[in-house]
Amino acid sequence: MISRLLVWLLLAAAFGSSAQAGDSPRVVTADGAITEIVYRLGLESLLVGVDTTSGYPEQTESLPKIGYLRALPFEGVLALKPDLLITSEQAAPAENLERLARAGVQVEKLPSARTPEAALERIVTVGGLLGEAEKAEVLASELRSKINRIQQASATRGNPPTVLFILAAGNHSVMLAGEGTSASALLDAVGAVNAVSGIQGYKPANREAILASRPDAIVIAESTPGQFEIGSWPEVERLDAWQSGHRLVADGMLLLGFGPRLPDAMAAVNEVLPAPSNVAANDS
Amino acid sequence: MIRDAAGRLGFAPSLVVALLAAALVALVSITSGAYPLALGDILSVIIGREASDPVASMVLLEVRMPRFLLGFLVGAVLAVSGALLQGLFRNPLADPGLIGVSAGASLAAIAVIVLGNTWLGGWLAMTGEWALPIAAFLGGSCTVLLAWRIANRSGQTAVATLLLAGIAINAVAGAATGLLTFYANDEELRSLTFWTMGSLGHAGWDDLLVGAPFMLLALLAAPWLARPLDAFLLGESVVGHLGYRTDTVKKAAILVVGLGVGAAVAVSGLIGFVGLVVPHLVRQLLGASHRVVLPLSALVGGTLLVAADSLARVVVAPAELPIGLMMALIGGPFFLALLLRTKVI
Repeated sequence: MISRLLVWLLLAAAFGSSAQAGDSPRVVTADGAITEIVYRLGLESLLVGVDTTSGYPEQTESLPKIGYLRALPFEGVLALKPDLLITSEQAAPAENLERLARAGVQVEKLPSARTPEAALERIVTVGGLLGEAEKAEVLASELRSKINRIQQASATRGNPPTVLFILAAGNHSVMLAGEGTSASALLDAVGAVNAVSGIQGYKPANREAILASRPDAIVIAESTPGQFEIGSWPEVERLDAWQSGHRLVADGMLLLGFGPRLPDAMAAVNEVLPAPSNVAANDS
Repeated sequence: MIRDAAGRLGFAPSLVVALLAAALVALVSITSGAYPLALGDILSVIIGREASDPVASMVLLEVRMPRFLLGFLVGAVLAVSGALLQGLFRNPLADPGLIGVSAGASLAAIAVIVLGNTWLGGWLAMTGEWALPIAAFLGGSCTVLLAWRIANRSGQTAVATLLLAGIAINAVAGAATGLLTFYANDEELRSLTFWTMGSLGHAGWDDLLVGAPFMLLALLAAPWLARPLDAFLLGESVVGHLGYRTDTVKKAAILVVGLGVGAAVAVSGLIGFVGLVVPHLVRQLLGASHRVVLPLSALVGGTLLVAADSLARVVVAPAELPIGLMMALIGGPFFLALLLRTKVI
């Protein structure tokens, strides 16, 4: 409650100060998680364009889309006359980013977040870039305490549970998440381990490998809601974890974005992990 | 039979029309784009004065200019290569895509993207900035040579064998590309996906510096092949009787195509349809003589590609459509219409 109040106070103060400063910066974000941060900080009025990975919250629909963050157009971005482009290290092509910088756009490439700490750090960085460092700190510490609660709870589990992490980008393209992915980073964050080993990145699912993995829980990340149809994947349905309800089907951007909804994602995964402790982030 | 251009539209007037069209599309491509520029600013930049918009000169000189030039060159080279191959194989279906040249060039380029840090590190060290175009060039040349060798046993070009060989080469190259894709990491994967759809979105002077020499060489060499290729239209045995060395002509044509298409693919990714459609269009209007078809294909191909690119970058602004996609979208229906209208190719 108090933190809410503080946020509102800061927001009011921010409005006051930006009104004094006159022109507020025009900002383009090219990365779903970074866009989420801007909205979570209540700074969406600064946004003049986002990329196609920015689909959350729904209000992003009404903003001009500059295309995919790995194929950013030079003129398209420049036409929005941004003062600031915030994107991730995945942004490409480098030529266009370099040209934008020379055309007077402040281009900020933030490192991808693969740990809760890095995710929080990115929130503070984005806040700082938008002149709202304090508000971002408040948000970060709020999220940090949620994350800590979840991690404390998950630390009480004895052996780390194994999780089968499936990426559903279309019902016939189902991928298993291997090492070095955001998916395995999320499992790390809640003290779980990947049920399939020896895969690097996302690889097409081998149905037998799914049966052989015998996970304690199943997490399925969908790129659009309702995409994964369990009927087409009898071997997933047959797994004990699915039968016993240790399963989660959720939005991919929520699970893999490592943005401000990270505690929600961790809580959701943690909830389907086997006992002893089911902990949810209380106030979200 | 070699049809002379005389019965149809004359060569000189059509050359003038094509040049005018090229000039028009140049004007459109340089004055239009997602970033709005005032006409006054454009004029100021052109005559070398200070524009009121500080980024105007950068947008024009560093982005739109090289992009226009690169697009025109790529379009011209692809169209000329299509014309050369169709003449060489005496087959209207021959195009860099169908006989696997593009697939070979792109396989080599993708190998450089994916394996550049590991297995092909030596190649990168050896060729530096030129690694991609040289690899694409080698890949392109090898596949044309292979298709031609397979189809050309016992001195006769077996047309059906050629197309089947092309399909097989495409399949093998596609599988190898797929294998590389499988081993690529996320980042490489997505640049690959976009690369295979073709794009001029990154085009700059350095791309021109790397690609233009190869493409210009191919374009300048092509006219020397016009007369021998006309002889090819009469049948391969006639070529020798007319005093051309059949084998040399074939090898030269293949080298030119490999050189040009390799460089084009290297700087712009995969762009289809120009090579197939443009030579047909020119032949429909002006007859089959290569002395007409080659230069006009170059002009029309360049014009068409630049026009498609101009569209690709404004229809979904501020985003951009991949040019390869745009080309197929325009080229496909256009080609069908041409087929339906004439019923003869």
